[in-house]
Amino acid sequence: MTEASEKTKQRPALEELLFGLFLAALAGGVFYATRRLSVGTAGDMGPGYVPQAISWGMLLFGLFFVGRSFVIPGERILPPCWRALILIPLAAAVFSLLVMKAGLAIASFLCMLVASAASSETRPLEILVFSLFISAGSVLLFVRALSLPVPIFPW
Amino acid sequence: MELLDNLMIGFSTAMQWNNLLFCLIGALIGTMIGVLPGIGPVPTVALLLPFTFGMPPASGFIMLAGIFYGAQYGGSTTAILVNIPGETSSVVTCLDGHQMARQGRAGTALAIAALSSFFAGTVATIVIALLSGPLSKLALSFTAVEFFSLMVLGLVAAVILAHGSVIKSLAMIGIGLLLGIVGIDVNSGAERMTFNIPEFADGLGFVSVAMGFFGLAEIMTNIEKPSQRVIVSQRMKDLFPSLADLKAAFPAALRGTAIGSILGVLPGGGAALPPFTAYAVEKKIAKDPSRFGRGAIEGVASPEAANNAGAQTSFIPLLTLGIPSNALMALMIGALMIHGIQPGPQIMVEQKELVWGVIASMWTGNLMLLIINLPLIGMWVSLLKVPYRLLFPAILLFCCIGAYGVNNSVVDVWLMLGCSVVGYFFNKVKVETAPLLLGMVLGPQLEENLRRAMMLSGGDFSVFVTRPISAVLLATVVVILLVLMSPAILRKRNEVVES
Repeated sequence: MTEASEKTKQRPALEELLFGLFLAALAGGVFYATRRLSVGTAGDMGPGYVPQAISWGMLLFGLFFVGRSFVIPGERILPPCWRALILIPLAAAVFSLLVMKAGLAIASFLCMLVASAASSETRPLEILVFSLFISAGSVLLFVRALSLPVPIFPW
Repeated sequence: MELLDNLMIGFSTAMQWNNLLFCLIGALIGTMIGVLPGIGPVPTVALLLPFTFGMPPASGFIMLAGIFYGAQYGGSTTAILVNIPGETSSVVTCLDGHQMARQGRAGTALAIAALSSFFAGTVATIVIALLSGPLSKLALSFTAVEFFSLMVLGLVAAVILAHGSVIKSLAMIGIGLLLGIVGIDVNSGAERMTFNIPEFADGLGFVSVAMGFFGLAEIMTNIEKPSQRVIVSQRMKDLFPSLADLKAAFPAALRGTAIGSILGVLPGGGAALPPFTAYAVEKKIAKDPSRFGRGAIEGVASPEAANNAGAQTSFIPLLTLGIPSNALMALMIGALMIHGIQPGPQIMVEQKELVWGVIASMWTGNLMLLIINLPLIGMWVSLLKVPYRLLFPAILLFCCIGAYGVNNSVVDVWLMLGCSVVGYFFNKVKVETAPLLLGMVLGPQLEENLRRAMMLSGGDFSVFVTRPISAVLLATVVVILLVLMSPAILRKRNEVVES
């Protein structure tokens, strides 16, 4: 370990803490979602047995990571890149909202434009032309050649 | 000779003109994505899966397998020419391959890489053919108890090569198991964790999950980093290696093939271990180790052979036992199930044409790669000039269309979207997502076998240790876990995985 990397260490170890909390929350969610399912016995397991058994495991793992995060120092996490984190899922959302109503051509084109805004290296004119090209190609490939059942245009 | 009969069945399937065509398409797509950094075989296979549903299963699988080994070829091409490993498996090839290219021997390096891979692929095909029969016969005597233990072993062994913490990977398997359980419980008909979404009643679509975690989340993580500039200036000459080159490379390729074939069979053998091990061995036995890293031809031949051999023998656990050894094999299992084929030892008997056709197609596919790829190198290299800022919106769009195509429903696109956000979180906290996919695919079978075993034993858990095969399998799990947790091994493993 060099001195520089020592400085970037932090306590609690954020990576461990966040992952541990995620696991604990997931276990809680599964317990809630399966609360009405019968658990049964080991010899005759109900539908709730295995999910709840795994969730107990997840809860233990989660608590372990949360506990460990206060004991060992962790790496510093770079703050998330919000632009990508919002725009990439948004592009997928645009696609799924538009594909049936507006057709594959328009959905594809807008999906790519929204996605491209996620990168700071995007050049406007270039991406416009490229998106048109790829959208047209997708329509030909997926609808015409692979007969994906989806409208091409809104009309 | 049953083996010869089986290989004959295989080749008669693989040689059908439509299967040859699908093999070629798969190998070409594979090479393309192998060349392009930023998109790997997992999202590509996931994307193309929905479009194989209409094909006969054998054709679909031949194409998907082609993508897999094609990607290995493509990855080594860029490793040699521009020092960028297209796939993790070709990281070591950069070391000596790119040095050879800088000395003006790019053509030789590429040819040696291709020839070694082809040689290894041929041997590995024979290894698969030899091992598959006996292994699946052994597995046919398995009951629910043994299958449960076998799956536990498969899952735990797959953790060996996951990057980072072993415990985190185990937790990821658990998350995967939970995801796999979503849907209607076959025994009681009760809906589990479907949140009243009718599309989830049949289970979560693993294609969408895989594309969310491996496609979209990767994009989000990649965008954060500034892109690298790619400079391609090598001119191709003397494509055919000299006799002296071949003499130096052949024994190395032989050793690499052996190492790759063995390591590939192990669950979790994955893409990184065989080439790294092969390189280390070459360096160790060389008379003059200082040549390595300066364009030693053995440093290209052996890892490339190991890489390809390992890639192919990793199909053995899948075909014989129904256990995936890495994320890609998990996808293949999912694909089998969508075709209505239950993976497991019985497919060796019930689906002879499919299994042996795929095995034989690996050989024809490798031959095609050898013949077509060397002349096409110029085209592949020009692909590298496509910048990531154009690539990622297109990848995203294809993922959306692919997810939609699974069931022609936007629910799968939303599922992918959700997984992408979670996947980004996993990348941020540095946990590997591959174990999750394995857990998800094996989840339903694991539960089914556990319940059946417990039903038979009347709720007595000791049945897992009193039946000999099961006891051996579980003992192996314990040994692996103990070994992995020991600090000395942990350090060694991190060196290998991260170097």
